[in-house]
Amino acid sequence: MISRRHFLSATAGAAALASALPARAETGQIVVGTWGGDYGQLLSDIIDKPILIPKGYEIVQDIANNDPRKTKLLAERQSRRGSMDVALLSDSDMYIVAQSGTFDPIDPKQMTRLDKVFPELKSDIAIPHIYSAQVILYNTNQVKTPPQSFADLWDPKWRGRVGLADILYPNNTLAAALAGGGGPSNLDPAEKKLMEWRSLDVKIYPSNEALAAALKSEEVWLTTMWLARGFMWKKAGIPLAHVVPKEGAPAIVFQGSVPKNARNKPGAFAYLDAMLDAKAQVAFADKMGYVPTVSDAVLPEDLAAQVSLNETERARLVKPDYAYAAGRSQRTMDFWNKDFKG
Amino acid sequence: MKTMALLVVPACLLVLALLVGPMILMFRISLNQFSPTQLMVQAFTPDNYIKAATDPYYQQIIVSTLGIALFCTLLTLVLAFPAAYWLGRIESRWKSLAVIATLFPLLVGNVVRSAGWMALFSRGGLINVTLLKLGIISEPLEIMYTPKAVIIGIIAVVLPYMILTIASVIESIPRDLEDAAANLGASGLRVFWRVILPLSAPGVAAGSILVFVLCMNTYATAVLLGGPKFKMMAPAVYDQFVRGNNWPMGATLAFMLLAVTMAFTVFGSVAFARRYRTA
Repeated sequence: MISRRHFLSATAGAAALASALPARAETGQIVVGTWGGDYGQLLSDIIDKPILIPKGYEIVQDIANNDPRKTKLLAERQSRRGSMDVALLSDSDMYIVAQSGTFDPIDPKQMTRLDKVFPELKSDIAIPHIYSAQVILYNTNQVKTPPQSFADLWDPKWRGRVGLADILYPNNTLAAALAGGGGPSNLDPAEKKLMEWRSLDVKIYPSNEALAAALKSEEVWLTTMWLARGFMWKKAGIPLAHVVPKEGAPAIVFQGSVPKNARNKPGAFAYLDAMLDAKAQVAFADKMGYVPTVSDAVLPEDLAAQVSLNETERARLVKPDYAYAAGRSQRTMDFWNKDFKG
Repeated sequence: MKTMALLVVPACLLVLALLVGPMILMFRISLNQFSPTQLMVQAFTPDNYIKAATDPYYQQIIVSTLGIALFCTLLTLVLAFPAAYWLGRIESRWKSLAVIATLFPLLVGNVVRSAGWMALFSRGGLINVTLLKLGIISEPLEIMYTPKAVIIGIIAVVLPYMILTIASVIESIPRDLEDAAANLGASGLRVFWRVILPLSAPGVAAGSILVFVLCMNTYATAVLLGGPKFKMMAPAVYDQFVRGNNWPMGATLAFMLLAVTMAFTVFGSVAFARRYRTA
């Protein structure tokens, strides 16, 4: 039996404990679900430290790859309080997670830099942080006449010399579809082309890093990859150059959004706003090769030549069909795993 | 006796809360349906089980997982027994050091350990570079992303479990029995076959079951050393849950893995007990 005295002392204890615990939103803590490595470090160096920490925010990075973060967001979506205030994902993953009503719409009233965002990159539920395009990368020591199109990668002279990253299977499938006359809204031709690729001994690596090591050791000479990643690999000393394929270069946008159950929404929108800061965007281009998404972030000429597409190439950017890709995601993964990798 | 029974209550409650509870939840998820847009639709259907059981791809993965697990268990047993016998029989002051040395590999996580194997096995790794420099090979050997690499990696993880389990049983077998058998004219091999092995059977059975279960559930070693084309169940479960967002199918595959592992474990235990009860 609980006596009145016991009840009062227990509730007083609970109240004391509650007051001792930090109130996250009031202290301005922002939890950012992000990638680690260079990306996480850059966020910390050029967004957190110079822009947000001086304003009194405390930034905590919840570091994981795309897939675990996506799974976490989906698992938490029914919870009243989520573990992230800002979630960073690629555009296609953002679309999938957004379908289950996980994110708040972007609130223009809480942001100051939305008007600088390129209109073609705008979205209702996310801000575009950085973007790049899927191109052909080749080893300049080994490939003297580079391929001009994705379809050229099926030339038997490249037998056993084309490498692909397993984790980029949706993008590799899209490249195969483009090579076979399809596109982002028609991936059917990809299946035939992938099986042809398989018969040409295409090599598959578990991660981008493993693919980079294979390009460096010249185990493979060609791949399809983000231009930005190619820029970083070149900076790391791998002799690479790129070609924007004739069929077009699929675009990838890395986005930021605020989960509906974020605990510090004003802080989250302040974070998204800081991600659009012109200086921060130029720094991302310089370090990681991703192109700014705001009109007032102007890159130095030599950097722009390495990471941006020229006007003709930009006209060949291929915009993903998110709804089609999401609807077909299980078939794409099953075909990749069961038939292509066998 | 009643007080003794109460001692198991905390452990049982912990297992119920942390294992049985989530498993019931996961079983319920396995009966739902996947939708590319809504991800999971509430349902009560065995479709996922039927699809997984009849799909040649998943059948092949189950066969490959079982094959790898059984082979690794057998090879681990063969490699572990002599070391366990030695460890169980030594009486010098170095015994503690030998036990610590056996345990030492377990202090390193699977991912870190696999990274070490990658440095050895890759085309530009230590093994290939050494063999190329010595002129033994002219082209680098393909070790990474092959079943060979996975088998070596798995055995390195599970060997200490087998050694320590068998050694603890061998310690309890009186040495006099070996001497008596030898005194009666039994050869070393006969002593092993008729005395040591039957008496150490409980340790062999426990070690084999432990190692088999660990091998069936291998994830990091299979992914890092086996590469994208290598097929085992745990990576397939991860693929469905995380890459495909197909939780119902992921949960179904997890239950199939559990069922196959349990069936083989129970069958193995019963067969082993029968064999050595009549021996």
